[in-house]
Amino acid sequence: MNGKTPVDTAKPIAGLGPHGERAVPADQIQLTEGDAVEAKARRFAVAVVLHTTTSDWSKQELAGIAATLGLYSAAVVEVVDCNFDVELQIAALTRLAREPVDAVISIPIGNTRVAAAHRALAHSGRKLVLLDNAPTGMLPGADYASVVSTDNFGLGQSCAAMLSDHIPPNGAAGILGYGIDFFATHEREIAFRKWMGIHRPDVTLVRERFAELEDAGPAALAMVEKARGLSGIFAVWDVPAMKAVRALAQQGFDIPVTTVDLGNDVALDMVRRGMIKGVGAQMPYDQGSAAARVTVAALLGLSVPPWVALAGREVTPLDVVEAYQVIWHLPAPRAIIDAMRILVATQGHSK
Amino acid sequence: MAEKKTALRSVGRPRSVDTAQASLALLLNLVRTGTATTRQELERGSELGRAVVADRLATMIDLGLLKEGELGQATGGRAPRQMRFREDAGSLLVSAIDQSSIALGIADLNGQMLVEHHEAARLDAGPEAILERLATIFDWLLRETEKPAPWGMGLALAGPIEKPSAEFEAVHVLQSVQSWQGFPFLERLSMRIGVPIFARSGVQTMTMGEAKAGGGRGLSDIIYVKLGRSISAGLMSEGRLHRGAQGAAGMIGHSRVGDDLLGAIAGADALAREGTAAAEDGRSPYLAQALARQGEISVVDIGHAAQLGDLFCVELLGRCGRMVGEALAPLTNLVNPTLIIIGGIVAESGGDSLLAGIREAVYRQSHPMVSRDLQIMRSQMGASAGLVGAAQVVVEELFSPPILQGWIGHGSPLLHPDFQRVMERYTTTLAPKAATPSGRTAP
Repeated sequence: MNGKTPVDTAKPIAGLGPHGERAVPADQIQLTEGDAVEAKARRFAVAVVLHTTTSDWSKQELAGIAATLGLYSAAVVEVVDCNFDVELQIAALTRLAREPVDAVISIPIGNTRVAAAHRALAHSGRKLVLLDNAPTGMLPGADYASVVSTDNFGLGQSCAAMLSDHIPPNGAAGILGYGIDFFATHEREIAFRKWMGIHRPDVTLVRERFAELEDAGPAALAMVEKARGLSGIFAVWDVPAMKAVRALAQQGFDIPVTTVDLGNDVALDMVRRGMIKGVGAQMPYDQGSAAARVTVAALLGLSVPPWVALAGREVTPLDVVEAYQVIWHLPAPRAIIDAMRILVATQGHSK
Repeated sequence: MAEKKTALRSVGRPRSVDTAQASLALLLNLVRTGTATTRQELERGSELGRAVVADRLATMIDLGLLKEGELGQATGGRAPRQMRFREDAGSLLVSAIDQSSIALGIADLNGQMLVEHHEAARLDAGPEAILERLATIFDWLLRETEKPAPWGMGLALAGPIEKPSAEFEAVHVLQSVQSWQGFPFLERLSMRIGVPIFARSGVQTMTMGEAKAGGGRGLSDIIYVKLGRSISAGLMSEGRLHRGAQGAAGMIGHSRVGDDLLGAIAGADALAREGTAAAEDGRSPYLAQALARQGEISVVDIGHAAQLGDLFCVELLGRCGRMVGEALAPLTNLVNPTLIIIGGIVAESGGDSLLAGIREAVYRQSHPMVSRDLQIMRSQMGASAGLVGAAQVVVEELFSPPILQGWIGHGSPLLHPDFQRVMERYTTTLAPKAATPSGRTAP
């Protein structure tokens, strides 16, 4: 567990933490054999509160948490699916503050709206480890133990760099942004814009945003309408990216797209030479595993860094299969492998 | 200013616009600070008559500054309706610019942070680049988060900040950064964003932030020490920030330790240099590996090595802590604080070895009465302390009676006649050099 993983060697962490902290890479969170013996003897109980449990990201995150906690005989005693509902999350945290759990790993859904419930849970004596971000105003040590997050800033930069290859001089690029106050997507978009501003000041950026996933396709079409000759689009995560791809394809457009996370649809589109040209992928299993190690360390009373970060992994059409295995800890589905064979064969012919 | 001559009336109706503004300002601050919220409490707290209070409250409701809230506690008759300050009538922009990072945020009018963003940046990129970056991110954040229009900006800057000659006048900033001298940074930024800017040194805003929301919450006497590339301290005494005659209080990095300045031997750069030497000559196996891997050593590596038990790094941080503690001890004896908070990148990285070194020196050299209940702790707020403190600076400035009386009749500080005059002057003197609006293309 203490050895370097591909996620940590991939790229340096570009972003700063919720309070401007420098990141401590996830692989530097280590537990000694002595720590493990003590943790096993104390048999901790941990609850996990997620925005949803149905997405691929959540399933992998949970798998990483459960597998790693299991190594230290810590039990996942409850998994709460908040179904993106702020009130549900507040109710769950309020209830858990009275229940026999030692720690809670939670991904805050809203920003300041869920701060009080998280704070109250931490003040009830449970250790609180946050995923992705800390609500504004919450402080490490007093209100939570640590935030374990992907380097969202780095993901935005990767997507900008990969898209840049497809934008001609003085061209235009679009940003398909999320119209909800959400830290991770904000960071990705700010980083994308910053990278373009520094490395491609010739590129004009246009932007549309969507609040509901169903609006992502129409938003992409509106962007194309607004900027004729649009040469590329950055979508802040994979599901809206694919909505955009389908809407554009229906209207006969073929525009390079980069996005965040290697969902099945995105992976398949890449190897079929679709519009998706590059992905900056989170590593949810590794993030879950790191969150579990941080939780055990905090429960043992060890000093834990306030911000633990994992670099993302850049994925291009030619390494989708390997990337899939690294990211999802699973072999790639048959359809992706078959499409990859065709892609490689075609590439071979074209050479 | 004419308003300064205004004396509070003890009874009766106001006789002039000035007294009306004074009573409006007085009542707004009573409600805003929660000192008095019902009409009866406001009459008692302001010593104004019932009719005047009713008239002023109606005016401020019309201006969008106050609103009626829930019912208060009944004291015999009907339960009184409480007045509430509308903290969402506007917003406050805050920013902290450091040697290697910038932080930005939006706060409500009570100084409560609503959103924050931190990113790496280099001060030596020059004032033009930093200004554009700030303006662009603020444009984006305001549009994206749909917060109310800003009323003012609090800015924390590296190095000491002089006190301004008059309200809304920009001060000469960043004397400590050679390349920024002569550049009208605050004037340009103020014109670009269209709000008044109130600047303080980074360590002063961090001190205010820690006192408002960090370890110093509820305490009136604290010292904040920033251990970064440079070393400085902020002092909160009896609930007020001590700025000094020129605004340069707290530059403890200039204290002598032997033949050297403290900042030169205990700052982040000095530690990195020592760490690099130890990596090269084999005294620290961990740092040798880090140097081979990364090509350089930072204080973050030293802190991490110390946590993993690297003896050289444990000793280096302990020595750094003792040197800082020796500089802090006389200050501690002088001001008798309840709490010393240690922040900055060295403190974030330094861990227990650093803190132990500081405690050892401070407790050894302080008078027993001074050290009896003294606590020394590491900051939990990080760079957020600077943002929270910057918001406090704007709140204190905009709602200070002399400034508040100048704008309250207009409903917004942006309509303060002095600020409008300053903006007109900037437009005349700076317009040819004005930066092109950004945010349309790329931050």
